[in-house]
Amino acid sequence: MKYSADYTHIEMMIVAGSREISNGQILAVGTQWPIITAMLAKKTHAPDVAIFYEGGAVIGSIPDRIPLFTGDPCVASNAVLLNDSLDTLGMILHAGHPDIALLPAANVDKYGNINTTCFGDYSKPLFRLGGSGGACDFGSLAKRVITMLEHEKQRFPEKVDFITTPGYLDGSNSREESGLKPDTGPSAVITTLGIFRFDKDTREMYLDTYYPGGSVEEVKEGFQWDIKVSENLKVADPPTEAYIRVLREELDPLGMYLKDNRAKPILTL
Amino acid sequence: MKSKIMTMREAIRAFVNDGDVVYLGGFLQHEPYAAVHEIIRQEKRRLTVTKSAGMIALDQMIGAGCIDKVISTYIWNPLPKPAHALRRCVEKEIPHKIQMEDYSFLSLTLAYFAGALDLPFVATKTLLGSDFTKHSSFLGENKLKIVESPFNGEKVCLIAPLKHDVGIIQVQRVDKEGNAQAWGLMGDSKYGINSCSKVIICAEEIVDTEVIIKDPSRTIIPGFKVNAVVEEPFGAHPSYVSGYYDMDWRYFSFYDKATETLDGFEDYLKEWVHGVKDRSEYMKKIGKKTLEDLKPGPWSGSPVDYGYCGRFQEDYVS
Repeated sequence: MKYSADYTHIEMMIVAGSREISNGQILAVGTQWPIITAMLAKKTHAPDVAIFYEGGAVIGSIPDRIPLFTGDPCVASNAVLLNDSLDTLGMILHAGHPDIALLPAANVDKYGNINTTCFGDYSKPLFRLGGSGGACDFGSLAKRVITMLEHEKQRFPEKVDFITTPGYLDGSNSREESGLKPDTGPSAVITTLGIFRFDKDTREMYLDTYYPGGSVEEVKEGFQWDIKVSENLKVADPPTEAYIRVLREELDPLGMYLKDNRAKPILTL
Repeated sequence: MKSKIMTMREAIRAFVNDGDVVYLGGFLQHEPYAAVHEIIRQEKRRLTVTKSAGMIALDQMIGAGCIDKVISTYIWNPLPKPAHALRRCVEKEIPHKIQMEDYSFLSLTLAYFAGALDLPFVATKTLLGSDFTKHSSFLGENKLKIVESPFNGEKVCLIAPLKHDVGIIQVQRVDKEGNAQAWGLMGDSKYGINSCSKVIICAEEIVDTEVIIKDPSRTIIPGFKVNAVVEEPFGAHPSYVSGYYDMDWRYFSFYDKATETLDGFEDYLKEWVHGVKDRSEYMKKIGKKTLEDLKPGPWSGSPVDYGYCGRFQEDYVS
């Protein structure tokens, strides 16, 4: 096993996310980073994970080209179940089957609450985002929720403007008090600079692990509050060469995620 | 029986009225873009439109001024990029103020399910704790309620049913009676389309009832609930229809760029919606080369055999 000497922050985030996944688990997979992260795990150390997407798909094998979102047409030719949202969000997710839910986010706050609805006041927003899709359901119902996003200060307010996807709400036992099932909720937030977990009593997010070449100062700079740091602070292992090769050569040779070619505009039709 | 087969223009004129509550089916595939363009051309107004994944179909209707109220879980260009007309509308009230009701995908599917079965409500454990329980828009008290379960006292969220005056979806095939068959990623479509008083089925092709009868498990709504049948090949472009055409990624990129400004959006409508008289003219503009590119490769399974059980055992009736 040889560590890679040449990898990006995005690749480190994806590898860190995939390391949270164990073989045989059932994964509720949201759009964007979670897609490539779950596929990396399935292609390497966790070939027997079951991956499902909100719209009604359970994935049997990895498509020839990477899906750009969870409703991508290529999903239809690699599914073992392809039906509707009550099959997946209902009889799998609501029924309590997934071990992990992987989600993207625009904003995450101190207690792991996610906002993908709007910035500013909901009734008159400054910036309107897409909305929940199935994210609220993943975050409400899954046992371990892992959120993945780029480490940028504007993404980490102390309190989100709108709780699209409930984390630990106001901390302590407020999540359970809201009526959400016990033993559900955020397990980790994984960014391009580190891995964050939640205090088991206060439910506040703290820095658990940062990446090689990074620093605590750099991590802390990316938060709008003074984020706590674990007493057992760890430094992650770099990705192995094998994982980087699978990512670049097998999963995403066109750089749709790794180089963000998804949204490249074209000028003429 | 009066034929239900009609043109898109006739179907929209006959069954979509100003002020209606309209369900648009499709979840990333099966999106009824041809119908959406005809609604814009006929300048329908004051609609309440519900659609799980709003995508750019709702963006176009909002920008064109057809919609006063919208119910959705997600409105975005799938690239993923903002839906520009939606943002102009919500942030700057262009072309006019709309009211928007947000749901999560599961809760919206359950609301359709309740509507389709005419249930008084469904109970769920999703949404609890989220701000969806604190902020509602035009549905007010009629959206959801948090109560204690009468069985074990735990908190549950009750979702009210959603019903629609008219529903529209683009599916793979339909017969002249309206028995509609769809397959692939289905999202909320089966529940949504069954929660509508009037139904317009747009299909890639109209087939003989014999075809439907030989594979009836694929029918999502029986013909007796359907009012209009429209044959509209490529009616879901730029979304996709499994087995018929792939998603047109380039078109979503083009739409993103083209509609970034208000002028650009209006030019888009002028050229691609008002500038064509129907879907076949639109497809001519898309061009043969793109259509060829979007043709999927084969991915057919072994055909299923439902078996023929047309007689009793001999000694059963003697």
